[in-house]
Amino acid sequence: MKKKWIAVTLAWAMGVTILAGCTTKNPDQSGGNTAKDSGNSGEIVINYPTFQVGVNTAAPVVSQLVEEFNKEYKGKYRIQLEEVPGDANYVDKIKVQLGTGDLPPVVYGGGYNLLDLAVAKDLVLDLTDTVGGDPEWKGLYSDASLETNSRNGKIYASSAEGSIIGYFYNKELFEKAGITEPAKTWDEFFKQCDALKAAGITPLAMDTADSAWVTQLWLGAMAATANEDGLKFMETMNPDDYNTPEMIAAAEKVQTMLREYTTLDAIGGKYENAANNFLSGQAAMIANGPWMIGDFEDEAKAMPGFSDKVGSAIYPGGFVYDAPIQGYFVTKQDDPKLEEAAIAMVKFFTSAHAQQLGLETQGMIPASQTVEITEEAKRKYPLLADFLNQAEEAAIRSDNMQSTMYSNLLDVISQELPRLYSGDLDPKGFCQSLTDGAKKNQ
Amino acid sequence: MKINKMWIPVFLLPTVVLFLMIYAVPLVMVFATSLFDYRLNAKDMTFIGFGNYSRLFRDPDFFQALSNTVMWILIQCTVHVALGTVVALILYKRPKGWKFVRTAYMVPNIISNAAIAMIFLNIFNPQFGVINSVLKAARLEHLTRNWLMDSRTSFVSVTLIWVLFAGYTTTLVLAQALSIDDTIIEAAKVDGASPFQRDIFVVLPLLKKVIGTTMVMAATYMLQMFDLIYITTNGGPGKATTNLPLLLYSVYKGENNYGYANAIGVCIVVIGIGAMALINKALKVNQEEY
Repeated sequence: MKKKWIAVTLAWAMGVTILAGCTTKNPDQSGGNTAKDSGNSGEIVINYPTFQVGVNTAAPVVSQLVEEFNKEYKGKYRIQLEEVPGDANYVDKIKVQLGTGDLPPVVYGGGYNLLDLAVAKDLVLDLTDTVGGDPEWKGLYSDASLETNSRNGKIYASSAEGSIIGYFYNKELFEKAGITEPAKTWDEFFKQCDALKAAGITPLAMDTADSAWVTQLWLGAMAATANEDGLKFMETMNPDDYNTPEMIAAAEKVQTMLREYTTLDAIGGKYENAANNFLSGQAAMIANGPWMIGDFEDEAKAMPGFSDKVGSAIYPGGFVYDAPIQGYFVTKQDDPKLEEAAIAMVKFFTSAHAQQLGLETQGMIPASQTVEITEEAKRKYPLLADFLNQAEEAAIRSDNMQSTMYSNLLDVISQELPRLYSGDLDPKGFCQSLTDGAKKNQ
Repeated sequence: MKINKMWIPVFLLPTVVLFLMIYAVPLVMVFATSLFDYRLNAKDMTFIGFGNYSRLFRDPDFFQALSNTVMWILIQCTVHVALGTVVALILYKRPKGWKFVRTAYMVPNIISNAAIAMIFLNIFNPQFGVINSVLKAARLEHLTRNWLMDSRTSFVSVTLIWVLFAGYTTTLVLAQALSIDDTIIEAAKVDGASPFQRDIFVVLPLLKKVIGTTMVMAATYMLQMFDLIYITTNGGPGKATTNLPLLLYSVYKGENNYGYANAIGVCIVVIGIGAMALINKALKVNQEEY
């Protein structure tokens, strides 16, 4: 009898132990996304997951904005940061929450096009009336910003940062090859590549893995400057036909660039490889945005004094990537007070002050044209100031391909560029692969 | 001692509950949702029956991934297991330093796949990797290439990352071999069997079951293989090194198509069960022999 009771007790204990892990937690311990009243104060808490923490370049800006917001709205609203290190992890988290319909009150769209996914699920709050009723907020929207953050005539998001992208070159290596200034045309650009190669210098730092960020910047710049159709293609959101003469011609040039003018490790290499090749002085040019400027002065990444060797340029044909980065959006919540708090947060995070802070702390280009590029920012980031001056001269502008293409094409482009390099695919075949990949989204 | 069989279900109950909650329910959910047009960028799910499965048969990427997966299972079940068994048979003779070799051969199996992938990324690096450097030093520069990103060599290069390190197989087979009754081997010796004949006709047949078990493990390992391929080639170039888990991930993450991804998931489960049944039947792993 005693043995029987011991056996029953043990079986019961095993069952309870297992099931203990499956019980519902106290909502306060769940790390959920909904607001919580903190005690009896009536303060609305906004749980805000973000990857802009830790070593992320935007972390200091976000941290200061949170501190200022919490101070300004003390007792009314409070942002509680939820750290999600790594932007890919953040995107995964948001996608999972999209699937369950339980999004955090504020989502940062960034360059990941999360807005369309959330709009398709009807989970985003329409900000049209709120922005329209606030002239100060409305004034921060440029036409481009309005287009980036609107769908079907409704404003759904608000941007804080712009994205002006050209390329950087190593002045010392250019001088060795007898090049005096960046190329104005693509023909001149390729002649410069030949001159660099003849001088024993690798002309370009490129990549193919992880969406081939650097390489697709060259590809898009060539397509955009080909003619009006090329520019129209670059301005199209989620294009589904890459079989255009402009794209095929650009792919042909990229094939040459990969074969003739870049490092061996570009094929299969990530952005980090390309950046390292440029920062170590092994390659003369790299396409990238101003956020890389900080790396030139970082002695953990580049040789001391490297920043003095770097020049910036817009692309041949007078082209520069110029588009606001998709901004913050408010998601539909059960509690209208939480929605109000989230709107206040988005407004604060995209205010002129926030954009100014991003510029001066991080060298982040403001989304709004009304936010002045201050002398302090120019002094702190001379290369940025120089680049912005050049960008003003650019006659052709568009968004970058990575922001406009279907997300599954990021993998396709990574997988097919090595085949374009090896000749397994010709430029036409490469464009056909992208077209086939785009069609999978229909 | 007499065992009261009434208590067996009682003690099994927690495990059964756990299995149902963690494996069975999600598996049913995966199958159920694979019957829907279930996309992240659509408001609602639409029932489409076996629509996702019929897409599988029209999708060249699926066939490429399936072919790679099956190929890897076959290579793993033959080359990998054979290598591990041969090493175990050598160690079974207890040559000098066999314990050290046994431990050393196990080392790659205790390093994380991510770390191994990073090591091989460097080994195969076209610019400074060991392989190309050795080829250059041997004046065979014409043979150098981007091993992981060349369509002609990527599959073999990725396979080499894991196929040679059969530590688990060796450990299991060796443990079984060491437990063989010495009298059986002595009897074979008395009958005049040479060492080679004893290995082939006496020891090896007695290891049949454990070899079958290692083959099942090797096959399931290949069905789960993701991180090593993701880090080294991400399935490329083209789809040359894409397997079913990698395809599932790209469909889920890139296309945001959960229904189709789940259909691929169901295929992985079916192939896994099929492979296990086949190996068990071929090697009679679960049958008692008297």
